[in-house]
This record gives sequence, structure tokens and C-alpha cells, in this order.
Amino acid sequence: MSEIGHWVWSTNLNGNNLSFNLDTIFTMWLAMAILIAVAFIATRKLEIIPSKFQAVCEGVMNFISDTMNSFLPEKGAKHVPLVASLFLFILTANLIGQIPLRVIHLKSGEFAAPTNDINVTAGLAIIVLVYYVGLGFIKKKGKFLLHEFSISGIIMMFVEILEMVTRPLSLAIRLFANILAGEILVTMMLGIFAYLLPLPIMLFELLVAFIQATVFMMLTMTYISSAEGEH
Amino acid sequence: MIEQTANLSLNMAHLSAGIAIGFGAIGAGLGIGLATKGLMDAVSRQPEVAGKAFGFFLLGAALSEACALYAFVIAFLLTGK
Repeated sequence: MSEIGHWVWSTNLNGNNLSFNLDTIFTMWLAMAILIAVAFIATRKLEIIPSKFQAVCEGVMNFISDTMNSFLPEKGAKHVPLVASLFLFILTANLIGQIPLRVIHLKSGEFAAPTNDINVTAGLAIIVLVYYVGLGFIKKKGKFLLHEFSISGIIMMFVEILEMVTRPLSLAIRLFANILAGEILVTMMLGIFAYLLPLPIMLFELLVAFIQATVFMMLTMTYISSAEGEH
Repeated sequence: MIEQTANLSLNMAHLSAGIAIGFGAIGAGLGIGLATKGLMDAVSRQPEVAGKAFGFFLLGAALSEACALYAFVIAFLLTGK
């Protein structure tokens, strides 16, 4: 059983070694395809009186925009596209790990949640970092780093710069470790007793998938509101 | 002699992985316990905020659980050597 091993495909480009985790890329594209298909179906034939499916989709979007507005009143609406895409992608990606795609045996690695690869979560965290730092510099210019020109202001500047490293690091490792730990736990339970014993753990993993997507979304909102709002 | 040293360092890596996850779990356990205590206090004082408080509780529990998972990552890196 190779939980952390991936199906790596290496190539050489101008003397630089490039390696791709093919299983992660496949499951990530699957998550993206599901999202695009659902979004396409959900936006056909919109009606004033919503059908059941439309009502569910509107409920999800309402939840996201309500949470965004509670963090950043009146100015939150324009950040909803980024935050909602992050939430929906992470949720779909986490849930993909729960469908038994892993019965397809590869040479190494397995088809599990793409978020159990730190490269994916690091990419998502870097998107958030670039977004909130760019937003802060556009909104506050130099004052984003240096609030006031004094000793305490300069010390706070170093803390802000340190936060630019620790925030994406904790975002990436939290999501990655939660999903990986869950999958290893399920695998261990399968090893102990393969019938019925892994079921409660798998149900708990469904809950973890929702919670981790929500936590990622809420932390992104906190960072955005700290960059745009008053300190 | 070289083989023995390599064996010892592997054993030590496994031992330190156990210690790492154990100490990490202490902090996460305390954190989730405190979060549950806060939830119970809030709900027993004001039962009508139960739904809202439970949302914040889940967020706080997930955040403090993450500390144990950092330890888990370190333990995994140590055993993977």
C-alpha cells in the first residue's frame, strides 16, 4: 500500500528535471470536469420559481455570499467568485476521495482525493496569498506593510512579512494533512477488519471534507477582509 | 559497524515519530476539550444560540486539530526515511 507514493512521470526540459504526479492530475481534472458540468447544467433554464436542483445550488451560493458579507459588509460581493470557486473545488476534490476509484490499481499511487497531494493545496494557498497581498497593495498602497512610521510600526511590518509565509504554509498543510490522515486511517481500518469497521471512519471523512472546505474558505475570507478592511 | 549505525538511526527515526505525534496530540486534545467546554458554557447559558455556536465550535475544533496534523506530517516524514 503506497499512500504517499504517486504515479510520477518524469521528463527532461533543457536540462531541468520535471516530474508530474499523474494520478493527482487525473483526479484534479475529474473534479474540475464535474464542477464545470454541474455549473453548466445548473445555469440552464433558470426560472423565478426554482426547481429542486436550482434551489439547492442557490442555497449553496447564498451560504457562501452570506458568510463573505458577514466578514466584509457591503464590499464582500466582488470577492465571492474567487472564494466560491475555492470552496466548491476543494469540496468536490475532497469528496472524490470517498468514491471507491481506488479499486483501479495503478503501478504506484492510487486514485484518491487530489487534495492529498501537497502540490495541489500549495497551489491553492499561493493563489490566496497572491490575491490578498495584491488586494492589500492596491487598496492601501505602502500602508499595507508599514501602518505608521515608528518603531512599533516597523516591528509590525516584519510580523506582516512573516505572516505572508506562515499563512499559506498553514493553509496548505492543514488541508493536505487532514485528507491524507483520513485516507491512511481508512486504509488501516481496512487492514484490521475489512467489513463494516471502516464505515464510521468513512462517514466521519465525509464530515471532514465539508469542514475542511469551509475552514479554507473562512480563512481566505479572513485574510481578504484583513487586507481590505481597517486594522 | 556502519550497518549497526544505520539500523540505530532508523530505529531512532521511528521512535521520534512516535514521540512527535504523541506530543502533538496532547495539544490538540486540550484545544478540542477547551472548545467543547466553551460550547457547553454558551449553550447552557443561552440555548437559542446552539446552532450558531456549533458552527464556530466546528471551525475552532478543526483549527486546533490541525496542530496535531502538523505533528502527523512530521511523523510521516520521519518514518518515510
